[in-house]
Amino acid sequence: MENFVTAFDMAVDDALFWLTDHAAFIFDGIRALLEGLYDGILWLLMLAPFHVVSVLAGLIAWRVMKSPGAGIATVLAMVFCWWMGLWAETMSTLALVVAASVIALAISLPLGVLAGLMPRLDRALAPVLDLIQTMPPYIYLLPAIALLGYGPATALIATVIVAMPPAVRLTALGIRRTPTEFIELGHATGVTPAQMFLKIRLPFAVPSIMAGVNQSLMMAFGMVVIAGIVGSGGLGETIFSAIRTLDIAKSIDAAIAIVVLTMVLDRVTQSLARAK
Amino acid sequence: MTHSEATEVLIDCQSVWKVFGDRSPEAIRAITGRGLGKQEVLKEFGCVVGVSDASIQVRRGEIFCIMGLSGSGKSTLIRLLNRLIEPSLGKVTVKGRDIAAMDAATLRETRARHIGMVFQSVALLPQRTVLENAAFGLEVQGVGKDERNRAAEVALDKVGLADWKARYPSELSGGMQQRVGLARALTSDPEIILMDEPFSALDPLIRRQLQDEFRQLTKDLGKSAVFITHDLDEAIRIGDRIAIMKDGVIIQTGTAEEIVMNPADQYVADFVAGISRLHLVKAHSVMVPLAEWQGDAASLPRCSSDADIDALIGQITETGSDAVAVEEDGRLVGVVTIRNLLLGVRGDADARAA
Repeated sequence: MENFVTAFDMAVDDALFWLTDHAAFIFDGIRALLEGLYDGILWLLMLAPFHVVSVLAGLIAWRVMKSPGAGIATVLAMVFCWWMGLWAETMSTLALVVAASVIALAISLPLGVLAGLMPRLDRALAPVLDLIQTMPPYIYLLPAIALLGYGPATALIATVIVAMPPAVRLTALGIRRTPTEFIELGHATGVTPAQMFLKIRLPFAVPSIMAGVNQSLMMAFGMVVIAGIVGSGGLGETIFSAIRTLDIAKSIDAAIAIVVLTMVLDRVTQSLARAK
Repeated sequence: MTHSEATEVLIDCQSVWKVFGDRSPEAIRAITGRGLGKQEVLKEFGCVVGVSDASIQVRRGEIFCIMGLSGSGKSTLIRLLNRLIEPSLGKVTVKGRDIAAMDAATLRETRARHIGMVFQSVALLPQRTVLENAAFGLEVQGVGKDERNRAAEVALDKVGLADWKARYPSELSGGMQQRVGLARALTSDPEIILMDEPFSALDPLIRRQLQDEFRQLTKDLGKSAVFITHDLDEAIRIGDRIAIMKDGVIIQTGTAEEIVMNPADQYVADFVAGISRLHLVKAHSVMVPLAEWQGDAASLPRCSSDADIDALIGQITETGSDAVAVEEDGRLVGVVTIRNLLLGVRGDADARAA
């Protein structure tokens, strides 16, 4: 039995080595692509000074939540992050979350739609999603670090994997749960299959899809912090290095900044979901 | 409208069956091969027969009611008419074309242009305004925005909702929502409208109002309609002809008067027992034929043969006469006495013989 396990482990190691030796150009390409996206978003966020970004965030919160109070609270929260001396880290975490969520949603929304329309695909996906969600999230860092190395690209890949399941599930659910009387209305009116999707199924699915987007974003936040271990940069890395040097005060500062950022993004996307 | 048009059959539903269940193909073979009935099919194959050997014809310009209690198969039957449900057996033609033989595009075209449908649940799209809902059928057909909105406005005007165009369905009462449902069906200008218990969820006052408006509108626009209901009063108020369904079988088809005066079986008789005859029963069904009348008919007040009991009571109480002579095409055909009227009100089919 022990021999068998050793043999299996060696096979896995060999496979990884083979991949890094022979498919390095693919992983270099992926890495360049991911880091390019991350750098681009971060460059945008750091383009303006902190007060401009804070006010902009406040305006968005005000518009979306339709409450001036929410706007002011957002501005204050962002300024607080700057005041703690964590502005660059906060923006870098935000860039990671946005980059990972964009990739995760670009994959999971179409996948969710297909799963909603095709029960067999839905059944095939279910165990995969279950697996992703039951594994401890830092597991995904290991193969990623082997293939992509230390840095934000690894953090992004692991975050994308963790962020996908809620969006896939809730999108599929929303598409599947169109009230039957509206399906009947569509048929009786003579809609084409494309019209059935765009004019009937999709509008009813929007709230569920937006809830999925919100959940994915929250998962991405959690993972981005864990990914501090692999040198993701941002608040996660700040916390990780603070823990290693037992700098408790610093780690609490960074934790507060994470909570602030999470709350702002959560409330804004939740209001977006409700607005529809 | 010429005579031939008036009797043109728009929907012809010939011996249609619908069998639900996993073993329905076997059950169908048993029905065609061995002539099994509903009960045997359920026992042998575990299949439920939703509609059993139903034949109806809907003619141009008429409102055809299908009346039955829940589980009688009426909702299944109406869905067989536009192939929302595929028939297991039998044939349905719409304007002479077999809808089972249509390909997907032709079927869509037929549903979009020729058969509108109004649902009990109304099914207004909540994200759209009243106007956008009413224009939905034309939107699906690819009609431009201005044109479809104009058509939708005309339809909303007809149902009295001209001022509510920009509102959302959730802002409307149940009755108003169903008016929008009707307007949506009218906007595409179909010849036939299928009404699936449209007024069942409304309160009685609104329901009566909508029944009258619906009948008036359908007649004014020259549409034909198939109207499903579980309420015999509603069927009588709205329908030119009524089919009564029970357990998937059409028990009787006829005008309200035919059904009330000559119920096909005890089930129908029990159903019509509580129905007021005042406006249903006409002079010609309760009169004593002139040949059997002993007295002098010529001196009596006159009425036409399709005057109803309510009108006859009015005439008798006003003139003080005990009997009224019934006139048809300018000559006397019979006499209605107070005795005949009383029997007619009670609904005895053989009032004439009494």
